Amino acid sequence: MFYRLSGVHHSSYKSDRKMFPVPADRNLVVFLLILGIAAPFLVPSLYLNSYMLPWLIWTAAVLGLNLVTGWAGQLHLGYAAVMAVGAYSAVHAAKFGIPWEFALLIGGLASSVIGSLFAFTALRVKGLYLALTTLAMQFVMDWVLTHSPAISGGSHASLQSPTFALLGQKITSDAGLYYVALGWCVLVTIFMLNLKRTGLGRALVAVREKDFAAAILGVNSFYYKVVAFAASSFIAGVTGAILVATFYFLAAPEQFAVNVSIQVLAMVIIGGLGSIIGSYLGAALILLVPGIVNKIFSGGADVIGLNLGIETLAHIPNAAYGALIVIFLMVEPLGLGKLYANVRDYLMVWPFDQLKK
Amino acid sequence: MGNNNDTIARLLQRNAAEHGDDIAMREKDRGIWMEITWAEYADEVLLCAAGFAALGVKQGDAVMILGNNRVRLYAGMAALSMLRAYAMPAYAAATLEELQHFVGEANIAAALVEDQEQVDKVMDLREAGADIASIVYDEGRGLNLYDTPGLMSWDALLKKGEVNLAKNPDLKTRLIEGSTPDDPAVFMHSSGTTGAPKGIVLSQKNVISGVRNAHEDGAFEYGEDILAYLPMAWVGDYALTVAAAITFRFIVNVPEREDTVQRDMREIAPNFYLAAPRTWDNMLTSIQVGIENSTPMKKWLYHFFMDRSIDAQRRTLNGEATGLLDKLGLLVGEQIIFGPIKDQFGLSRLKHAFTGGEAIGEDTFIFYRALGIKLRQLYGQTESSAFNAIQAAGEARLHTVGKPLPGVEVKIADDGEIMLQSDSIFAGYFNNEKATAEAFRDGWFLTGDAGYLEDDGHLVVLGRVSEVVHTKSGERYVPNYIENRLKFSPYIKDAAVVGAGLDELTAMVCVDAEAVGHWAEVNAVPYVSYADLSQRPEVAELLDEAFKRVNKALTEGLQLHRFVSLHKEFDPDDGEITRTRKLRRKVVEERYAPVIEALYDGSKDVHLKAVVTYETGETGSVERTLLVREV
Repeated sequence: MFYRLSGVHHSSYKSDRKMFPVPADRNLVVFLLILGIAAPFLVPSLYLNSYMLPWLIWTAAVLGLNLVTGWAGQLHLGYAAVMAVGAYSAVHAAKFGIPWEFALLIGGLASSVIGSLFAFTALRVKGLYLALTTLAMQFVMDWVLTHSPAISGGSHASLQSPTFALLGQKITSDAGLYYVALGWCVLVTIFMLNLKRTGLGRALVAVREKDFAAAILGVNSFYYKVVAFAASSFIAGVTGAILVATFYFLAAPEQFAVNVSIQVLAMVIIGGLGSIIGSYLGAALILLVPGIVNKIFSGGADVIGLNLGIETLAHIPNAAYGALIVIFLMVEPLGLGKLYANVRDYLMVWPFDQLKK
Repeated sequence: MGNNNDTIARLLQRNAAEHGDDIAMREKDRGIWMEITWAEYADEVLLCAAGFAALGVKQGDAVMILGNNRVRLYAGMAALSMLRAYAMPAYAAATLEELQHFVGEANIAAALVEDQEQVDKVMDLREAGADIASIVYDEGRGLNLYDTPGLMSWDALLKKGEVNLAKNPDLKTRLIEGSTPDDPAVFMHSSGTTGAPKGIVLSQKNVISGVRNAHEDGAFEYGEDILAYLPMAWVGDYALTVAAAITFRFIVNVPEREDTVQRDMREIAPNFYLAAPRTWDNMLTSIQVGIENSTPMKKWLYHFFMDRSIDAQRRTLNGEATGLLDKLGLLVGEQIIFGPIKDQFGLSRLKHAFTGGEAIGEDTFIFYRALGIKLRQLYGQTESSAFNAIQAAGEARLHTVGKPLPGVEVKIADDGEIMLQSDSIFAGYFNNEKATAEAFRDGWFLTGDAGYLEDDGHLVVLGRVSEVVHTKSGERYVPNYIENRLKFSPYIKDAAVVGAGLDELTAMVCVDAEAVGHWAEVNAVPYVSYADLSQRPEVAELLDEAFKRVNKALTEGLQLHRFVSLHKEFDPDDGEITRTRKLRRKVVEERYAPVIEALYDGSKDVHLKAVVTYETGETGSVERTLLVREV
């Protein structure tokens, strides 16, 4: 209904390969971007900094994990560990007096190195074995963090992050921190959008579908797997650093524990493997919906005058939230991104039922 | 308005000089619309003309144009007008026999063809004795091993032209200024529903004044975006993509292939679209089948808005006022139903939509108007450069074709035949004085159509003079009119109504393979072939409904009583319809004489032995028993 395609034609290959060939998609993206930029003027700062900001940062993390899991098809259970490497490296670098721009870069590169190192060992195995190996990496990293006072300051200590600054300007305002998160998230999104139309992206997909087949086509699957791990780890590292610098303000080992890895993976799977819009939706569902469900239940209980105990109030929303995830995955096993694509396809051919021959 | 000394060559040069950087043509190649500007186009035409001159094409020679719509073939047609030679377009699917008829008419010096398939045809013509010295092709695929004398690519032709221009410094001026408005623009052929096609030479003055008349009456503006999809041998295509395009600087979009037209149409979304009623009918069938396959909710929404809109259109046609509610329905319907449908078919930017070539069915006409497309009727002939009369944008009257164009005078002969006088009318059939004498009376051109002028100057066309027939009881009718009503049903592709001089009317119909095939699939009706499908009792019931609906709108004496669903579609290769899909009534009545007999002698079925022409030109025969159904 909203997708009008007539009159869209291309007189060069360049224009044919545009990122958003459908005007409605382009308009939607522009609209959302404007909304994102205007958010500090529209949303109270409490919501801005406790919902929007973490959502954008986690979306960037989900996109990074999607690169290795969704695109290259490699299951990764140690993603939080990689984020931790970036976060600690960047904070230490910043404490050392290195400007934040470079500190972030150092964080990203450090993650990239550690992530690829693990990839080398991990890539000898596949599937569940790979999953287990990455999980081992997570535990190794947890152990290293809690047992190396030089890095984390000790098992229950936390590391204060220096004030974030870009181009010599200290950024402390709510809006400023939000824009940093937005900028990084947009940057990662643009990278991922472009990845789809490059040779690298196609090679990754080939590796995902079947690495033997990809090898027969001349795609060096080992090389591309390492590239996928390295690129994804770089995104993880920078995201981890930004998370600490703009949201937590201090780094602690439990921020990057195994449950966080599982949570990011859940965001990827609920959002949809290999889906960009799905990454946004997945992060939103896991991150924001618990709060909303909580509010609905406590509010609803008040309205109908039901006097629920604190215990029940704490547990019912959890159950509802879990049920929600199950329902979403039952309706569309390929995730929220696919759900969105279904709606888009439906409207694309409206009022007909299928694409014309 | 331009002056009277304009020729195609001069207009093209003017476009190149004044609007050289504007897009003249787009041709889709592997998914990309390759654009050329007026300056490039004019250059290409000039080089092509010089090339043909080097090949020895001179005044009075003809060059055969064979193939589907291609930019280079259009450029070639424009170039030939510079050489004062005849560009003779033929249908891409024309058979050897049809082409041989052309060869006999004029001295064909060369052929400009699309691809290998057409090169083969020209070689067959040569073998059959035609003396065609050169063959120029556009698409070289499959031709690299050919060593036929005189065969060359388009690029080689342009190269020759370049050399020729360099050798003769005054050639360029001679080519541009040499032709006069009275020189030929194109060599067309009458459609030949009643016999062999007759040669029709339209002069440059004819075609240019034809499109100027149409422009003056608001048929199109300067710079329309159009899709060049009509067969090149149809006058409508020449008038639009060459004459009007050059005179009014259209952007001509040439689709990639014949079978990508629908998709390409959506990509371009033309401003101006002229189609034969058949094409409008086909599109209507696609829409109806598409909705039929849709979900109940969307079906309901479609019918909710469409039925109301059609109703409102009918009332407008009857001269009744439409209420506020209708307007509201149209507004909302446009957003959620009509707009998306038009978008799917590339009709959303359409400002000037025309149907021409033959009468359009009332239901089809109303459907498109209800969809919000200002479909207008156009009346014209090959002999008069395609434009005689058009409906004004605001009026929606079904029975008239609008007022005659400015510059076209209309008179009705005593016997009811429409007579015309205009600059756009040709001088006479090529080398056929007898036919020419029959076609003109006191300087008026006899159209062969019966009609009358209404008091407010609107022209009403009833049908071909030769087609108005009477039943035994003296009831007057035009078979074509009833056939068009039958064809409104998505399940009927072609129909032939018989009954001239007989007690009652009956019909032979060909079912639409796609629509009925799909219906059969959905309704679990098994079938193995078209012939089998056409005889299924379930299909007969489907057709019966269509006949009952048509009968409701017909007067008592003209109702259809029986029908036979034929075992094959009418095919231009079998001569049953023309390439523009007009019924060749004589051929059909002759070929299906046993069927017609069975329709009237009360038999329940008829055994038919039909001769089929295969695409290779070989013939075979098919035997079938067809059932006669009562309505």
